[in-house]
Amino acid sequence: MKITLELFGASRDFSEKRHIDFEIPKPILIKDFRKVISDYLNDKFNGNTSFLQIVKNSAFCSEENEIISDNYKITKSQKISIIPPIGGG
Amino acid sequence: MLHTKIIDTQKEQIKISDAEQFIASSKFGANIYFTGTVRNLNDNKEVTGITYDSHDEMVIKSFEEIYNETEQKLNIQDKAVFIEHVKGYVKLGEMSIIIAVACKHRDQAYVLSRYIIEEIKKRTPIWKKEHYINEDSQWLKGNPIKT
Repeated sequence: MKITLELFGASRDFSEKRHIDFEIPKPILIKDFRKVISDYLNDKFNGNTSFLQIVKNSAFCSEENEIISDNYKITKSQKISIIPPIGGG
Repeated sequence: MLHTKIIDTQKEQIKISDAEQFIASSKFGANIYFTGTVRNLNDNKEVTGITYDSHDEMVIKSFEEIYNETEQKLNIQDKAVFIEHVKGYVKLGEMSIIIAVACKHRDQAYVLSRYIIEEIKKRTPIWKKEHYINEDSQWLKGNPIKT
């Protein structure tokens, strides 16, 4: 299945596009998807610790615009947003 | 009564006159306008502007949730609330947010206005990238959202 990770805030620096596509072979928990993203960034940016920290401190949001926990299981192709630490106003 | 909007600075301007028009009513005796503007100095760096990023659907949803919970949490039933936040580039001194509230009495209006901005800071998915005088730029650290 394809998980499209939509990028916001500091995570926009992960790609020149506004999203990154991941091909995942089977259903996956958010906590494991977090590791998939970290591994991808580790490879692509040679262990950029600042990027890894962003992933560690981020929440995730479903297509239904709900914040989802580490135990949420992604079972089908969908968009997931990464929500780095926020600071509007 | 609630109005919410994200203003894309490439397409339109955020305007206090829109807020005045929305909250104007003879049934409310207290009106408060809070505006946030881009400040010139942060962490000893000279700021020239900020780019705001936004998860639009989540932002509007959070504004609505904050508004809805004020009835129970603050016990304020009759009110008009106008919330607009920009996304995109904003120059030094320009507005990034307007929160306008109207209530029957001033005590309620002050409490309501303060509550809304503090909750937005805690849970509304908006991000800032500061631009500095040396042409450098940086995403601000922010606060992790609770899951």
